[in-house]
Amino acid sequence: MSKDEHDHKHCLELFEKLSEYLDNELDEVACKDIEKHIKDCVPCFVCLQTLKRTVDLCKQAENRPIPEDFSKKLREVIQSMPKNPPAG
Amino acid sequence: MTAPKRANRKIKDKDYELIQAINSGQFDRFPDLVKRYEQKLYNFGLRMCRDAADAEDTVQETFLNVFRYLKDFRYETKFKNWLYRVAASSCLKKRRKSKFAPDRELSLDEFFPQDEAEVPDQVPEWALMPLEKLLNIELLDKINEAIFTLPEKYRLVIVLRDIEGFSTAETAQILNLSDANVKVRLHRARLFLRDNLKGYFENE
Repeated sequence: MSKDEHDHKHCLELFEKLSEYLDNELDEVACKDIEKHIKDCVPCFVCLQTLKRTVDLCKQAENRPIPEDFSKKLREVIQSMPKNPPAG
Repeated sequence: MTAPKRANRKIKDKDYELIQAINSGQFDRFPDLVKRYEQKLYNFGLRMCRDAADAEDTVQETFLNVFRYLKDFRYETKFKNWLYRVAASSCLKKRRKSKFAPDRELSLDEFFPQDEAEVPDQVPEWALMPLEKLLNIELLDKINEAIFTLPEKYRLVIVLRDIEGFSTAETAQILNLSDANVKVRLHRARLFLRDNLKGYFENE
């Protein structure tokens, strides 16, 4: 497919579903439709690959350790709470 | 005709026994629950509020609410889902106008190549090379930065789905949205991040 053809309606329709495709949330027919399309459509293939990499990178987002002072304070605050009666 | 009664099945997840113990009066076990989730909730709060003091406030408020209302928890969902519902609500209350992430709708059109020059003709290097070769501290900072710039309602969804690992149905339940709405927001959030990362790699 040439670049000129890339505003094709079908590309737009599939573009909407790429995350669901990556998340295995599409039915078999829709999956096959996408797989068939990206074999011939370079821009859509690139879009899928870059989106997939984005999701992979997002999953690597780093966590910061909770500040020790705060963690200690949190326990003190909870300790000072009036105790609820057990569930009836 | 009467509606069929819904089975009152309790969801016995990994927190079930601990919650049972706390609710039966063993309040000294509550810190075990804090220990289990404080780290995750702190980072969730940081991603939603950006400011460390605000994140601490949301964690404290979440645990205090859990402490108050745990006896009413009926195991209809996993405890973790209920906990994040409380935490998300606390973060939304903390909402401050952010110059980094102004509230706005993301439309699909803005992510679809509009002119010929934008249409890619090959997969860029950053999407091809092994992930472990690509990852470094600068990139991890960039990812966190990019997440901060997402408008809040999209950020909530992508953080729950792609970082915290909740399913579409669980995220929908936590945020009180339909599954379809979660999917739409997630896709736009990912496209927003993708464009952000693309810009970063192209200008590297």
